[in-house]
Amino acid sequence: MIMQLIGEILKLTVLAGLAVAGILVILIWKKGLATKVTYLRFLVQVVAMVAVFYLFTYPVWQLIVLIVILVLPLFLGRFFCGWLCPFALYMDAITLIRKAVKVRYRLLPDKLNKFLHNFRYVLLLVFLIIPFVLVLLDPPQSLDLATLLAVLLAGPFEPLRILVGPLIPLIVPWEGPLAISGVYFSYPYVQEVILYSEVVFSEVFVTIIAWIFVALTFVGSFFVRRVWCRFCPTGSSIAVVNRFKGFKWAPLLHLDKDEEKCTKCGICKRVCPVQVTEVYEQKGGKINTSMCMLCTRCVEMCPYEDCLKLKFGGKTVFKSRNWLEPSTIE
Amino acid sequence: MKSQSEEKKYMPEISQKEVEELRKTITATSQKVIAENIKRMKKTDPNRPEAMQYFDEIADFVTREKEILAAKEEGKKVIGYMCLFAPTELILAADAIPVRVNSGWYDASKLGDRVVPVEVCPVVRSTIGAKMIALSPYLELSDALISVLTCDGMTKLGEILSDYKPVWAMTLPRVKDSTQSLRLWSDEIKAVKGQIEALTGNKIKGKQLKSAIERTQKATKAFRRLQELRKGSPVIMGRDAMLVNQTYMWDNIERWTEKTEALCDELEKRAQQKIWACPPDTPRVMVTGTPMIWPDNWKVPTLVEEANPQGILVADELCSGERLLYDPVGVDEWSMSDMLKAISERYLMASTCPCFTSADGNEDRINWMLNKIKEWNIQGVIYYVVRGCMLYAMEYTRVKKVLDRINIPVYYLDTEYTREDVGQMKTRVEAFLEMLSARIDI
Repeated sequence: MIMQLIGEILKLTVLAGLAVAGILVILIWKKGLATKVTYLRFLVQVVAMVAVFYLFTYPVWQLIVLIVILVLPLFLGRFFCGWLCPFALYMDAITLIRKAVKVRYRLLPDKLNKFLHNFRYVLLLVFLIIPFVLVLLDPPQSLDLATLLAVLLAGPFEPLRILVGPLIPLIVPWEGPLAISGVYFSYPYVQEVILYSEVVFSEVFVTIIAWIFVALTFVGSFFVRRVWCRFCPTGSSIAVVNRFKGFKWAPLLHLDKDEEKCTKCGICKRVCPVQVTEVYEQKGGKINTSMCMLCTRCVEMCPYEDCLKLKFGGKTVFKSRNWLEPSTIE
Repeated sequence: MKSQSEEKKYMPEISQKEVEELRKTITATSQKVIAENIKRMKKTDPNRPEAMQYFDEIADFVTREKEILAAKEEGKKVIGYMCLFAPTELILAADAIPVRVNSGWYDASKLGDRVVPVEVCPVVRSTIGAKMIALSPYLELSDALISVLTCDGMTKLGEILSDYKPVWAMTLPRVKDSTQSLRLWSDEIKAVKGQIEALTGNKIKGKQLKSAIERTQKATKAFRRLQELRKGSPVIMGRDAMLVNQTYMWDNIERWTEKTEALCDELEKRAQQKIWACPPDTPRVMVTGTPMIWPDNWKVPTLVEEANPQGILVADELCSGERLLYDPVGVDEWSMSDMLKAISERYLMASTCPCFTSADGNEDRINWMLNKIKEWNIQGVIYYVVRGCMLYAMEYTRVKKVLDRINIPVYYLDTEYTREDVGQMKTRVEAFLEMLSARIDI
């Protein structure tokens, strides 16, 4: 048993090591620290998807994943959303398709965007409350704490699955909804959609609903960049922390802006895939917003050297550079 | 009687003979001034970079005039503009030649007095005067003018010049960071794109626009490289760099980029060999305010760099200088609509022209100066305003307050388009520079 555990830890370490090594090789090869962050991010996302698939092969995957989702963001901000989430990878891939066919993205009105951002809490709350309602409607025989917890969290509703939803890789290591020659395919949230609609609808309808969901997210992310990220309940945890005063220190990883170097050219606002306006509007210093996913697209596109920075603790990890490359002397 | 449209709305009727006479004398003066300015620049820095020779040549108006004439015979169109807000990328994309037509001739401003009162900004009066006697080759050669309604002078200048040429007015919103402003300005950009297409007969397609944006970005790169080189010990006199910046306003963009890169290469070599244009402890001055336009309005930089004690201009905040090309068009996705949006944002939002205001006032301009002062290690600021330049004059108080706070002396230099006050200005500039060098010694 212990040997097995050690073996698994070793496997994970090797996987993580490989990922880090890959990223490092690219960084060194590209020299100037990540001049093309967009491509680097794609790479990280792919690696992350593989890692998530690997995590899912464990029986306790939900626990591990929940730790990753709930604890990590407290310090890394929504870095997870920007760089690791598999669903985001699919949406970015769809964006690539859109770019290839030269269709212009649509913008959500700022108010709607802000509303959706707050709406994620409502979604989360609803999913956490529904099992209570179900318990009240159909109380289990014994009402001791253990049974109650089991029914609430792992009962027929499984509310925590909504948090794991966006992490589902396209090929899953369990019996997914779609099987082609022994390989099971899935898609974020599809299993949840099936699970919840099965209660009401017949099997044919359930399949149709699942396909409609896939089509909707596909079309949605085709026209609106990162459409799901704008209200995804998984991205809540850091947002909660960021909302309270006195917790401003918590996000170790954050964007920082130098007011004097900014000419307010508006590029950061335009290139942001989730339409964050704070980077543009805030005068300078630490950017406090829970909408930002730290994808660093704005840092990459900011044409003024040192104006925008991604900081980890007090250290600058990545900064905007004069992408027109100035002289190196003095 | 002439119909309303044919009749000149503003311009007085001058006899052809008088025009010819005036033109002859003023052109002769202008050639003399150009030659003298270049001579003096060479004298100030005896081992001036060799690459400057190209810019001296292109600065004489005649060389480029011939080229544009030849291009026009091949069917190319020339589109002039008065303010930096004119989207030159669109002009380039339509295979036309953009030229900036603001005039820097002192003598022409006296002629402008016949049309507008003397209280009006001399840049405007001089441009009117230049048009009256067909002095500026670029203004004469342009098939249409883009007049961006920035300050009051420029607004009416477009109207006055419409006596001669088709003028496309572009309304510039005065608040630059609101969505409705951006919407209006984007529409203006689209409209002017249509007009450029109609004039040139070339449809602006994505490919051409992308190439135009990239060419301009390359020019920006060279431009920024030059300004970055001025950060350290002086490798180039301020006037030389200013001349390089000015020639961008009418030169062929690819050639200009190439020559500027060549100049930067030479300057980098000089920096390594520690060949300085003037002693490294020369007081470093920044100039801000009304645009200074070649050839005549060169007196302030000349005074500063020829003064005793000498000063050096290492940076400026002029729309005829570092604001020309500092901001690039940042395109997110290379689709037509996104490129147009990027262009309209670059011209509206990144600008630090004092004709703007916003929730926090024209804070960007202050920030620009603070950044320049820090990064370029500037010891004193000359705030240059010509009479009638209301917007710059009015922002002075605010700028002074900010600069006082960081203990940077600022000197308000008000003047006119005239050579008569050079003597007394010299005394004032020298006193300021003396104070600066005294501060450095302490």
